[in-house]
Amino acid sequence: MYEFEYVRPKSVADAASVLAANSDARLMSGGMTLLPTMKQRLAQASHLVHVGMLGELQQIAREGDTLVIGSAATHDAVATSTVVRTAIPALAKLAGGIGDPQVRYLGTLGGSIANNDPAADYPAAILGLGATVVTDRREIAADTWFQGLFTTALDEGEIVVRVHFPVPKRAGYSKIKHPATGYAMSGVLVVDTGAGIRVAATGGGNGVFRWAEAETALTKSMSASTLDGLTLDLAHFSEDIHATREYRAQLCRVMAARAVDQLLG
Amino acid sequence: MQLRPGSRSIVRVSDNPGPADQRPSPPMPDHAHAPHAPFHRKEDRRLVTGHGLFTADRKFDGELHAVFLRSDRAHANIVSLDLEAARSMPGVHGVFTAEDGKRAGMTQVLHMLTLKGSDGQTPRIPPRGAFADARVRFVGEPIAMVVAESVLAGLDALEAIQIEYEDLPHVIDAERALAPGAPQLHECAPDNMAWVAEAGDSAAVDAALAAAATVVRLRVDSTRIIPNPMEPRTCAATYDATRDHYHVYSVTQGVNMMKRQIAVAAGVREDQVTVHAQDVGGSFGNRSAQYPEHCAVMLAAKALGRPIRWIGTRSECLASDYHGRSNLIEGQLAVDGDGRFTAIRLDWIADMGAFLTAAGTSSHTRNPVVLLTGVYKIAALHGRWRVAFTNTSPIAAYRGAGRPDVNYVIERLVDEAAAKLGLDPADLRRRNLIGAGEFPYKTPTGSVYEATDVPGSLEKAVKLADWDGFKARRAEARARGKLRGIGMASFIENTGAGVYPKDQVDIEVDAQGRVHAYSVAHSQGQGHETTFTQVIAEAMGVDTARVFLHEGVPDRTLIGNHTGGSRSLVGAGSVCKLAGLKLIEVAKSAAAAQFDTEPSQVEYHAGTLTDRASGKSTTLAELAQRAEGLRTQAEASIGSTFPTGCHIAEVEIDMQTGFTEVLSYVAVDDCGFAVNHTIVEGQVHGGILQGFGQVFGEKAIYDEQTGQLMTGSFMDYAMPRAGDVRHVTIEENCVPSKINSLGAKGVGESGCTGSISALANAMADAMRPLGGPPMDMPFTPSRVWHAIGASANAH
Amino acid sequence: MLLVDFIRDAVGLTGTHVGCDTTQCGACTVHLDGRAIKSCTLLAVQANGSKVTTIEGMADGDTLHPVQQAFSECHGLQCGYCTPGMVMAVSDLLRRNPRPTDDEIVDGLGGNICRCTGYINIVRSVKRAAELMAAS
Repeated sequence: MYEFEYVRPKSVADAASVLAANSDARLMSGGMTLLPTMKQRLAQASHLVHVGMLGELQQIAREGDTLVIGSAATHDAVATSTVVRTAIPALAKLAGGIGDPQVRYLGTLGGSIANNDPAADYPAAILGLGATVVTDRREIAADTWFQGLFTTALDEGEIVVRVHFPVPKRAGYSKIKHPATGYAMSGVLVVDTGAGIRVAATGGGNGVFRWAEAETALTKSMSASTLDGLTLDLAHFSEDIHATREYRAQLCRVMAARAVDQLLG
Repeated sequence: MQLRPGSRSIVRVSDNPGPADQRPSPPMPDHAHAPHAPFHRKEDRRLVTGHGLFTADRKFDGELHAVFLRSDRAHANIVSLDLEAARSMPGVHGVFTAEDGKRAGMTQVLHMLTLKGSDGQTPRIPPRGAFADARVRFVGEPIAMVVAESVLAGLDALEAIQIEYEDLPHVIDAERALAPGAPQLHECAPDNMAWVAEAGDSAAVDAALAAAATVVRLRVDSTRIIPNPMEPRTCAATYDATRDHYHVYSVTQGVNMMKRQIAVAAGVREDQVTVHAQDVGGSFGNRSAQYPEHCAVMLAAKALGRPIRWIGTRSECLASDYHGRSNLIEGQLAVDGDGRFTAIRLDWIADMGAFLTAAGTSSHTRNPVVLLTGVYKIAALHGRWRVAFTNTSPIAAYRGAGRPDVNYVIERLVDEAAAKLGLDPADLRRRNLIGAGEFPYKTPTGSVYEATDVPGSLEKAVKLADWDGFKARRAEARARGKLRGIGMASFIENTGAGVYPKDQVDIEVDAQGRVHAYSVAHSQGQGHETTFTQVIAEAMGVDTARVFLHEGVPDRTLIGNHTGGSRSLVGAGSVCKLAGLKLIEVAKSAAAAQFDTEPSQVEYHAGTLTDRASGKSTTLAELAQRAEGLRTQAEASIGSTFPTGCHIAEVEIDMQTGFTEVLSYVAVDDCGFAVNHTIVEGQVHGGILQGFGQVFGEKAIYDEQTGQLMTGSFMDYAMPRAGDVRHVTIEENCVPSKINSLGAKGVGESGCTGSISALANAMADAMRPLGGPPMDMPFTPSRVWHAIGASANAH
Repeated sequence: MLLVDFIRDAVGLTGTHVGCDTTQCGACTVHLDGRAIKSCTLLAVQANGSKVTTIEGMADGDTLHPVQQAFSECHGLQCGYCTPGMVMAVSDLLRRNPRPTDDEIVDGLGGNICRCTGYINIVRSVKRAAELMAAS
């Protein structure tokens, strides 16, 4: 690591002011991506503003038809929360399948979605559930949050405070882990919001996306076989040493079918 | 804890050690085939409580830290290297490069080449020093070393080094490296060929192939593996100017072999080097080798007069640890009308990476020659080995070191032959196996296999795996949309013959009557402190708690081999038994002097010595307390033993995802006399999973276009994980060796040698009904899914 | 400074190991306020005010922690390099889930890599530890 100053702010506002005053300051929530990157000297910061400890960012609560989760809620907190398990069991399952137990104790919702790794699980939750990301400045809808690999609608110095997940009628998440990292080789969340179907897929390599053809088909008939033979644009998928583009697309189809089975219980 | 017969259910031993005339002659312990009670390994307490002493745990007063500038390209000339800015960085004590190494005489490495080239050709050995000299030949090759007050200061200085490269064309694939027009790595090795070796009778094989009813041809790639012991590679050095002597602290498989290699590489005498090691966090062949970093820290320790410590990162290790395997083999198997094998021919390209290493070169040529007939009676054998240079990390030994590779191609050929002939693979093997009564068996390439019982192991394995019930299981799986396969491997290995002519063990009794043994074999997880002391305790009739093993003690000069090639129990372990027995005789003499009688009149029992005539007695402790002490040394010269086995794997492929589940794994091994069944099982388990890793996708991958290592961290190099193989059944079918006092044959590598072939055969069997060409490893889900699709499209 | 460097270099407790640089291997696992975390991916300063337990703190005098006991009994270690991290991860797994299923054990070991044992005896060790802890 290069040298930096560690800052433990007292509040989100405090954190925001440090960020505003130092253009090379970086926000850290759980640090599960940032610290390894800094260790390898692939990232540098003048200040590391650690918001992961802030009490105001830990909240997990149901407010009417909305599940509110603070940005610093750890994957473990979400996975084991009775509130989440009752409201959106698929979300608890998704969080409980991220990385490994040690990482789940430290990694956070806010960190994950702000990083927007194309193989991360949470982007599928944001997009699939049609969540709203609440920052210290504004509210951002899921469909505009993701803006390409490792890029989001967040502005410089803007801080994710919490995420509002509309509680769906039912949902299912299915994932195949990458053999080395535990990230998603493919992860698909199928959601029946009550008003419509949303299908969000992650792990393809080119960023989380909604599979429109699947949404249309499942709206007509909620069954795994409905997905057979549907068009799936290969542009969503990339190729690497572990998997071809076509194979990733295939996994996406299979995970979608399995997610449907889970949704149907 | 006293050893006694136990009732532990997982401990299984042979009830059929082979025909009576194959049984070994005594001496064997009375309970040679009685199961032992489970017990804690002696080394466990310190390791489970965090009190082990691994190399990186050592700190030195006044130590400085080394970090390396490594090549970030596959092949390039170093046009300029400007170190001035780095040298003036805060906390930097020195920057070292090839010039410094050459001045110190560091220009070569030790080689153990046991096979002559064709027509007497001498292998072409390129020079290798501590640092890349004017040219880099693989990504990760050390170019310069910064020595600084802290690692951080060193890393800062690394960034200040200015280096200018002139890129050269590179070649990472061994077959392409040998082709005309390939980029050339070394002036001394035209066509990138280190040498060509041949073994066997080419004309006889030609004739047999021509006459054969069936010829099976197969090309297999035993993929490049990064051994990845969990302790990253680490070394440190101090220099004693008054004696012109180096102390080197290192991960190792044995201090003697390491010392010899370091002395050659550092250009000093062996007696100028002391190698220190206690706990070593795994090795699998990899830590037997000396590395450039040893020389580099020695260079700095002498130049700066301070202890120098280098702790490798995992990424550094992935790129610059010597890799394993990487053998491309074309095999042909000739079969007559009765389903009997008449000839085998192997045409082998051994990728050596950018430089030759001490063990890699010999193990990928000599071991396959020794085992060229596998476990089968085949009259005509021929093999050719083309040893090639590529722009990749050098190849050295990795669990099995050529033995898994040769068994892999043979066992795959056998299964493909069975498929072609419409025969049960078990039946085809039964027709061709060397029978239990046919030993010692001299192979056409001159090896003499010692007694074993592969047919017996096969029958046991077939029963345990319910081989005959497989058809029904396959049909049931197919109904669920799964491809189920079963695969068998019958195999043989030659344990390491040793580099040193004999293995010595010192043994002595301390004033408290405790027995201490000293050896230069070195455990990297094999549990020598447990098994070797168990051997001595049994030989002497004393409690294992009173026996201690000390490995690699610096001030003890013992002749003996490092731990490698599954040989330590065979070698040093069996000498421990001799040492225990010899110590009893020494004690009898000492007691006789005390009793004023003849040694023959002294009875020894469990540490107590009694004069038959007077009834007076004394103890080991009392004898040890006398001025002359109680100690002796034992030794023996022990060559190769031949462990064998039959393993059966059953797998199921999810056709939708290409994911494979290993449903069951049966391993029946002949490891000779097993001192400790729990440790035998552990060795087999570990080997099986390393084989699983290779078969299912653990692989070092270099990018063809850039020469970059694509699997440069654990984010891309997929290590096997918990749950990958869950159900393993292990049985022993042991025929004790006659060449050592224990009857041991070794078991360190058999799990890996068996599993690669068994798992790959199971995968081939699962996919065979689809009708496509046989697929080779790695069986990654993506590759398997594509192969399934290609087969489906073709039919 | 990372917590693992603080533990090893500043405190001098070398039972906590480093096996990778990408938060994969888990050799550096320690307990932070009772929970298993990877000390290579936490700044030492983040642990300020927290209780950190390393492998050296698991045994009670000469009495091994049940997880340590179980690893030894079941030959769940060979070279021992990954073992401290395994013990810390498993003790946390069993705190959360005293009777884990095979799948839950596999998930619980998901953050730890062993190269020697093939994990077969590690899984046995976890089950044995669960028995020992239930009995105590």
